[in-house]
Amino acid sequence: MPRRAKRTSATTTDEPKIRADALRPTLDLAQQIYGQLSLGEIPRMRLPLRTKQNIAFQMREGVWRLGKAMGTRSARKLDGALMLLRTFYLVDFINEMARDNKTSTLRELYYISEGWQEGKFHSEDESNLLVEDLEVLCERLREDFRLHPEENGASVIGDLTIRERNRKGLVKKINCRDDVGDGGYALPSNVEKEKIEFVSSGAKFIVAIECGGMVDRLAENGFDERHRALLIHLKGQPARSTRRFLKRLNEELHLPVVVFTDGDPWSFRIFASVAYGAIKTAHISQYLATPSAEFLGVTASDIENYELPSDRLTDQDVRALQAELTDPRFSTADWRSEIDLMLKNGKKAEQQSLAKYGLNYVTDHYLPEKLTEMGVL
Amino acid sequence: MAPARTIAEQLASKQREISVAEFFERNRQILGFDNPQRALLTTVKEAVDNSLDAAEEAGVLPELMVEIAKDADSPDRLRVAVTDNGPGILRREVPNVFARLLYGSRFHSNRQARGQQGIGISAAVLYAALTTARPARITTKVEEEDAAHVLELLIDTQKNAPRVTREDVLIWDRPHGTRIELALKAKYIRGRQSPLEYLRGTAIVNPHARIVLVEPDGTRVTFERAANEMPRIPKETPPHPYGLELGELGYFLKASKRPTVYELLTRDFEGVSARAAKDVLARSGLSPGVTPGSIQGPTQEALLEALHSVPLVAPSSECLSPIGPMLIKRGLRNVLGDVRPEFFAPPVSRPPKVRGGFPFLVEVGLVYGGGLPADQPMQLLRFANRVPLLFQQGACAITAAASNLDWRRYGLEQKGGNGLPVGPVLVLVHVASTKIPFTSEAKEALAEDPDLDKELTLAFQAAARHLKVHISRRSRRSFAQEKFEIIQKILPRLAEKTSHLVDQPIPDLTPVITRIMDVVSLELQLTSEEGPRRAVLEVTNYTSRPRVLEIFLETPTEILGASAFAPVPEGTDVGMGRAWWTLPKLGPNERAQIVLTLSKGTDVEASDLDWYVAGVDEAHLLGADPLPGDWDVRLPRALIEAAETAVPADPDSVEGEVDYDAAESEAHVGDDDG
Repeated sequence: MPRRAKRTSATTTDEPKIRADALRPTLDLAQQIYGQLSLGEIPRMRLPLRTKQNIAFQMREGVWRLGKAMGTRSARKLDGALMLLRTFYLVDFINEMARDNKTSTLRELYYISEGWQEGKFHSEDESNLLVEDLEVLCERLREDFRLHPEENGASVIGDLTIRERNRKGLVKKINCRDDVGDGGYALPSNVEKEKIEFVSSGAKFIVAIECGGMVDRLAENGFDERHRALLIHLKGQPARSTRRFLKRLNEELHLPVVVFTDGDPWSFRIFASVAYGAIKTAHISQYLATPSAEFLGVTASDIENYELPSDRLTDQDVRALQAELTDPRFSTADWRSEIDLMLKNGKKAEQQSLAKYGLNYVTDHYLPEKLTEMGVL
Repeated sequence: MAPARTIAEQLASKQREISVAEFFERNRQILGFDNPQRALLTTVKEAVDNSLDAAEEAGVLPELMVEIAKDADSPDRLRVAVTDNGPGILRREVPNVFARLLYGSRFHSNRQARGQQGIGISAAVLYAALTTARPARITTKVEEEDAAHVLELLIDTQKNAPRVTREDVLIWDRPHGTRIELALKAKYIRGRQSPLEYLRGTAIVNPHARIVLVEPDGTRVTFERAANEMPRIPKETPPHPYGLELGELGYFLKASKRPTVYELLTRDFEGVSARAAKDVLARSGLSPGVTPGSIQGPTQEALLEALHSVPLVAPSSECLSPIGPMLIKRGLRNVLGDVRPEFFAPPVSRPPKVRGGFPFLVEVGLVYGGGLPADQPMQLLRFANRVPLLFQQGACAITAAASNLDWRRYGLEQKGGNGLPVGPVLVLVHVASTKIPFTSEAKEALAEDPDLDKELTLAFQAAARHLKVHISRRSRRSFAQEKFEIIQKILPRLAEKTSHLVDQPIPDLTPVITRIMDVVSLELQLTSEEGPRRAVLEVTNYTSRPRVLEIFLETPTEILGASAFAPVPEGTDVGMGRAWWTLPKLGPNERAQIVLTLSKGTDVEASDLDWYVAGVDEAHLLGADPLPGDWDVRLPRALIEAAETAVPADPDSVEGEVDYDAAESEAHVGDDDG
């Protein structure tokens, strides 16, 4: 089991609110391009590259953030010209929303672009990337731009009492074990203090889990109550709100976080985005990443040690692992040996493959063993 | 243990002669009858090859009808009928031609032909009989006779002899021709290795043939004739000693009716002069007067060795029938019309070469773009003596030669510089020879050979050079299209949007436009609504400095003679088909026109008009080429101007900094969600 060195988190970062001057930087951008056009210069912007080669470890915050390498988006090329045009359709749109006091989901934004002629997005990925670009350029968050993801409700199960201000402005006190159904407490897209306050918790640690089936298994077996654990369903790659919520719990309630995923290359990336910061959101890692989070498994050696039913790595899996070997976030000796081991064995396994030994095995043996080894239990 | 002798006797009692037909009955796969799809294709192929050969020999433009129909008796059977307009077959020859293996007129002849061994069509008849027990029905009529003969035939597989089961005479509504009808166990497919694909290939390399296919569901596919010239009938030449093997020499010696070996050598072989014959005989220790039949054993070997060592005149290539560049292009155009390729490279027809004692030549046609799939490997259409090769592509010398060429140098994608390149490209390869070096009797692939490989490579390279020119022109065009899209659509909107956001008037975009374009662009428009045809050349200076440009036109003299120009050219050379202008000085973003009006009845295509420009260097020129050096026009100013147009340093060059929108996005994949 590779052990990640615990990193101490030094500061709690300030959380964003929609600020009065939130949209000022967007108009500054328009001014910048207008100025270039007036001077007869080819319109262009410089942006930090959001690539794995351009992330750097920040000692102070213990997370990976954007490095200093810059790229240019220029109207000299068709792609660049299109993105510049879209940027100002977007700026116009969010300024309009501010005037009308509206907000929009990211998906709605994608459909709004239908009216942008040449600037129309071809996929939601394209529109999401541009919103992130604008966050970087303006040093704001998408919420400042009145854009938010759909409520996708990652769920929380366990002894945590929160106070949530709902859409109607009513404040409700909710215990995530006693006041919710079997599905748990569904996280809203905004998990900041003005929306969610922590009241109290009897939990000693948090298990962040990739798959819903495993969350159900732990809940049904009473793992959360027996071990005073808080279960958080990551739903695959965790959304910003899930990561932000984990970070708040970790910092404000001092709960250690362990991450329990499938044993495959994609799961490593899930862990990295929780603990180190994702590359796409490297500009706000200090606000999303939980540097003290630890990877519980399923590890490559678990697959061997527990003789888990496994699948062969696909070509895509192998390429993903090889890409991870050149990802600076995985450049530690522990991660290297873990990745090398998975490549060498050529095997991957799902977390639910532990059911090979019966439904109680994961809660009676696997997790207690791993958590004891990690010093959490 | 039984005495050895008894065993030998036992074995001997089991030994008996195996008839040729019986042998093939047990080895169907050798001849391409190993499964029902394959059997159908082979049957169609053999019948079609015979029909084409027959029509050509008779000097008739082939007209073929291939009908494939369901059989009422059984769902796994099909009925195949192939009808041609060939010369017909004499009644007495019919049984042997269709129902006797290894019977043919071409086996001993030294010239290019589709079929050679005379196995093919009788094998189909045999297969049909084996799988359905039904005879083949042949209808044939020669021009000299009034009626057609109808025969039903089976093959006696023990004796390798035809058996006529029914015979009749029929009044046929055509002057001459042959029809073969078979019922066989078969399966109809479309797509790769199907009868349709085979006939399409056949139509490409036989543009002088008209071929109709009727599929089992009634669909009728017609490949119209695209050329009315017959291919050159290859001349039959005697065998050349260079390709001779010992057994064959033995056969010639034994069968020869010549009184002396000297006469045999000089008359029945190609390339053996009187002097060479004497030399050969001297080396092999034979006297010129010896009768051919008496030469045996070691003397035969000595004779063969001498024949192979004495320098002889190279085999003639008159026995070959190349398709020729013009017909390759026509055939490809005719059959690929629905794909609308954007480029047909001028086909390559290599001069004949010799390998072993056999002349051969290689022809290549290349088609690019249009509806051809861009993400697939190159389509390779292989032909040997005008017959499509549909199987064993991977084992073929043609594929090997195409795979070993580095196509990346010619603008195609190719992993690691070998293997078939990827792109919207189709290549036709025709190898013609009196003896095609097939890898096996199934005649599906050509065996590798250094001489053949060299010719194939040279032909590929020649075609690929044309492709390279086309691709580079094309990428310049698409580069230009991209720039036009930026300046015409995106930039004005960007200006509008940002002006609105900062609440300012829209600025003049000319300087930005010229910076982005940085070219002199020539665009030609042809119009012909009501009245004379006009060509308008619009010249735009999209560079940031004023320019004096000289425009040169080269066009066929008949077009130049029928054209009126505005403005009037500064000079013309009607004999050379040239005209030239000096345009008034064009500032940035300014344009000028040259209008060409043709007198009635004259037609002009954009490709008839070649435009050249002086006053700007190649890197800053779009839609025309710079003035070639061999134009003997004295234009000192233009040349000086061109020379001093060094690329100006761009103040906002992005050189050295990464293009943000081209930076790798691999890290985004599965890294983060919302």
